[in-house]
Amino acid sequence: MRKYLIRRLLQIIPVLFIITFVVFVLVYKAGDPVALMLPEDASESDRAAMREALGLNEPFLVQYFSFVGDLVKGDFGTSFRSNQEALPLVLERLPATLELAAASMIVAIILAIPLGIYSARKQNTLTDLFITGGSVLGKAMPNFWLGIILILLFAVNVQMFPVSGRGSLMHLVLPAITLGTGIAAEMTRLIRSSMLEIFNQDYIRTAKSKGVSNSVLVYKHAFRNSLIPVVTIMGLQISHLVSGALITETVFAWPGVGQLLIQAVNGRDMAVVQAAVFVIALLVIIVNLLTDLAYRLLDPRIHYS
Amino acid sequence: MKKWRINALLVVLLMVVAGCSDKEASTGGTSGSDSNDGTLVIAQASDVTTMDPQNSLSTTGDRVFRNMFSRLFYWDENMELQPEVAESYEQTDDTTWHFKLKEGITFHNGDPLTAEDVKYSLERVMTDDTLKEFPYFKQLKQVNVLDEHNVEIITDGPMPTMLNVLAKSGADIIPKQHIEEVGMDEFIKNPIGSGPYKYVEWVRDDRVVMEPYEDYFNGTPKWKKVTVRAIPESSTRVGELITGGVDVITDVPPNEWARLDSETGVELVKGETTRVNLLMVRTTEGTVTADPKVREAIDLAIDEQAIVDSLFQGNAVPVRTRVPKGVFGANPDLYDTNVYDLDRAKKLLEEAGHPDGVDLTFTASKGRYPLDGEVAELITAMLTEAGFNVNLKLLETSAFIEDYNANKNEELIMIGLADGLLDASYSLVHYTKERAAGQTDYFNEEVENLYKEAGRNLNDGERAKQYERIQEIVAEERPHIFLFQQGANYGIRDNVQFTPNLNEVIFFDDMDKK
Amino acid sequence: MEAESKPVMTLPRVNAGMKTSSHPLKRWTKLLLQSRTGTVGMIIVLGVIFVAVFADLIAPHNPAANNLSNIMQPPAWVAGGSWDFALGTDNLGRDILSRIIVGTRVSLLVGVFSVVLAGLIGLVVGIVAGYYGGWLDNVLMRLVDSFLAIPSILFILVFLSVFEPSITLLIVVIGLTNWVTYARVVRGEVLSIKEREYVKASKSIGTSHRTIMLRHILPNIVSSFIVISALSVATTIILEASLSFLGLGIQPPDVSWGAMLTDGRNYLATNWWVATFPGVAIVITVLGIIFLGDWLRDVLDPRAQVSRKGGGK
Repeated sequence: MRKYLIRRLLQIIPVLFIITFVVFVLVYKAGDPVALMLPEDASESDRAAMREALGLNEPFLVQYFSFVGDLVKGDFGTSFRSNQEALPLVLERLPATLELAAASMIVAIILAIPLGIYSARKQNTLTDLFITGGSVLGKAMPNFWLGIILILLFAVNVQMFPVSGRGSLMHLVLPAITLGTGIAAEMTRLIRSSMLEIFNQDYIRTAKSKGVSNSVLVYKHAFRNSLIPVVTIMGLQISHLVSGALITETVFAWPGVGQLLIQAVNGRDMAVVQAAVFVIALLVIIVNLLTDLAYRLLDPRIHYS
Repeated sequence: MKKWRINALLVVLLMVVAGCSDKEASTGGTSGSDSNDGTLVIAQASDVTTMDPQNSLSTTGDRVFRNMFSRLFYWDENMELQPEVAESYEQTDDTTWHFKLKEGITFHNGDPLTAEDVKYSLERVMTDDTLKEFPYFKQLKQVNVLDEHNVEIITDGPMPTMLNVLAKSGADIIPKQHIEEVGMDEFIKNPIGSGPYKYVEWVRDDRVVMEPYEDYFNGTPKWKKVTVRAIPESSTRVGELITGGVDVITDVPPNEWARLDSETGVELVKGETTRVNLLMVRTTEGTVTADPKVREAIDLAIDEQAIVDSLFQGNAVPVRTRVPKGVFGANPDLYDTNVYDLDRAKKLLEEAGHPDGVDLTFTASKGRYPLDGEVAELITAMLTEAGFNVNLKLLETSAFIEDYNANKNEELIMIGLADGLLDASYSLVHYTKERAAGQTDYFNEEVENLYKEAGRNLNDGERAKQYERIQEIVAEERPHIFLFQQGANYGIRDNVQFTPNLNEVIFFDDMDKK
Repeated sequence: MEAESKPVMTLPRVNAGMKTSSHPLKRWTKLLLQSRTGTVGMIIVLGVIFVAVFADLIAPHNPAANNLSNIMQPPAWVAGGSWDFALGTDNLGRDILSRIIVGTRVSLLVGVFSVVLAGLIGLVVGIVAGYYGGWLDNVLMRLVDSFLAIPSILFILVFLSVFEPSITLLIVVIGLTNWVTYARVVRGEVLSIKEREYVKASKSIGTSHRTIMLRHILPNIVSSFIVISALSVATTIILEASLSFLGLGIQPPDVSWGAMLTDGRNYLATNWWVATFPGVAIVITVLGIIFLGDWLRDVLDPRAQVSRKGGGK
């Protein structure tokens, strides 16, 4: 177990190195942040002066090595747009995004577990078809569309929830549903199929033949097993979650990392893109590691190699 | 035995959420309301990028800074320059200006505002070339403190736009002594100005909160609390307005107007901007548009009035110049007019020796200006009808700006240009040989001389005439083909009173709420 | 089992119990008709493909032709609408039905080809990594981990702003970012297949690596490959819509459902039809593909086979 953990942790280092390099190349290739900082009719000499002042005229390798040098010291550099250190800018917004992500996961779990189990029990009935179809619908609706419709229905027409922004728990409801629905859909489908698999296993059949009632069966034996796919999917969905957050945060004016990242990419704000991607990637890796561990705890059949 | 693990997992998740939310609950609730409780909530399309007023250079930022800082001059509601921190001024020779400051002005920390602060502020923005506002101030050469309330500014050559510059964003006066004590970084974290509202907090991508400064030198501020929110998605912004979450929203795109009209309790307020959408045309030797007849045909083929009427429901003004009404030096003959004659356009193409049509590459942005993609598609259709074979290249904002700045524009590129100085000199520099090089490659000797002369001319009447003449020539020769002046659109709650300004700046105290 | 590969991801194997009836087409049709959702899925998918192929013939109007005197006309069955523009017109007076029909082609092109590209890269990387193992496996898998750790939309966001946008670029970019899922799954499959007796035997008699990969390994991963691919087409169609929302999707004069949905979103409260119909097109198509994909998984996966026969109750 410890050996396994150490190996996994060591693997993170080259991964983070590759990520920073790839992102650096991409953002460098993406072009000139100065062009986007000055207005349309700034003259070429104005732009050249600002590029010089920001150190953007250095050759690629010089820029990259100075970036890596600072990175080792934990310094991602300064945002061109806001003239502030990049890492604090990202960390400052992390709680908002984590809050949204966690709430979405909860929404997903609350929806998926009962629906998944129920539709497995009612396999091949109309209810099953309805639930399966509904969960696919949740997956098939693009996030921004769902978000806008939810705002229209439950914030503007029926004023149950605030339209946008972050604040009370009420502010969290619509964005969490928007982001959670897609994950719920995936989870429902997975729970359904793993439940079906379990129903067919010998010990359940035996229990059944011994006259154990259906609901006891479901809740005592099958439910616990259904958590295995839930945990798995939490790991797999984390990067979907981040992608979805980019859009959900924009729709709901949610002040999280997602919005920051979009603006940074659009503004070619290298330091912020780097810091944000780094933090997100680290988060994804950690969550994946944790779910792998949780997975092993839940399913004793798997051994560490 | 494993159940506790599952439960623990759920409990941990719940705690994360609750923990994040509880702490916020107290600060939440920015809702505006229909009775005047003394609070004002404004929602803009994007957030302020910095709290450094000299490094912002954006309308969104200026709406905050204008109320937090003071400048020597300001534009009043009639778009006339008025002294603000300045009491009076005098020009002693072509390049020397003398300003007397008002007495008794204090910063939000109580320190008096003196000539030293003015010198410090202007020197920072005219020498630090990493500041975004720097290019607009580099013509200032020297600032001398004469005494506590008198300051002298020396310029690099005659500068007829001196007062415009001192009223523009970036000319904000920042507290020298305070900054020297706490450092610039700390100042930008907790900015201190001398304007009617003082900084309370800035939650990035969310809101800037301000409170009144009771000792403001120009009367007691009106609002108990002002919140400026950032809501990027326009339909969300409109939703907030309709539900009363905010009092005023900016940047309402035309496709939301019908919705505002159909809802009760809200209203659309239309204003103007200095931004003119235009096509830059290559006059470079060897391009098909080097031929003035082809350029004229393009102009005649585009029905600007139809675009304005259909897409903007009349809330934009067709123009034939980049200097709209209200800006110094505007040529009134070229405002609110367009030339459209499809038959003549076709004939011109034939005369120019292109009976089979002309290939054009037309670059435009999508998502940068209101309905820019739609405008470009309409223009493409109109040009096609006149016999052009148009290759439309629509680009997302940052890719577009990249192409534009790298002078990768081919025959046509559509862009919207604003005038931050409200003076024609700012716009017309585009027709000088130096600025046109690589972009339109336009050159006209007369324009060149007129522009140079006007730049040194301190007689406003003559200077305006020179600029008007330049616009006439440009309208005739068409290195730019002008489309329309963009409108500014705000949504307000019915109980709010608000009249927009041409420069799109908002003074909170000019607004009212019943 | 290798530690990193997740059992849930190591999907199905070719079904051994399927040699019963005579003609393959007949056999598959019979299997298909057994499943309600599978049938629905197949009908939808075939319909969408038909529309995409014959778009130019079916579309009643030129999708790009604007008509300023006829903007925002509602659908035919709403007051003010006409059957000439069955689903209404948009803010430039263009026929929404025709745009959806022509948009089918673009949305499907992007969906299918980017998945093919991603699949090919993933297949090669996965087989090579799984088969050879060792340092090569280690290097490739770290690369895969890196890509997995960055949300793909972010990669695409940056990519698309570097190069000039076009349908081809969109396909290439989505393909280049989504191959990692395939690589992981394929590698997991290969790891278990190569331990099987017949592969070991084949190796011991000196069969070349290439032959083993092509003859023994490839056929065994085809089924799981098809299942993931089907689902990926669906997610790519949604991804294209999200990219449009961020301003980076298909640009006019090309039409896609995502772009229509994005442009129409501001009209949801006043002219609902502009965004609703392209949205419905996306939802139905994705629904069809997922149903079909699920059915394929059930059919190709022997474990699911049992439950399909109704052993659940």
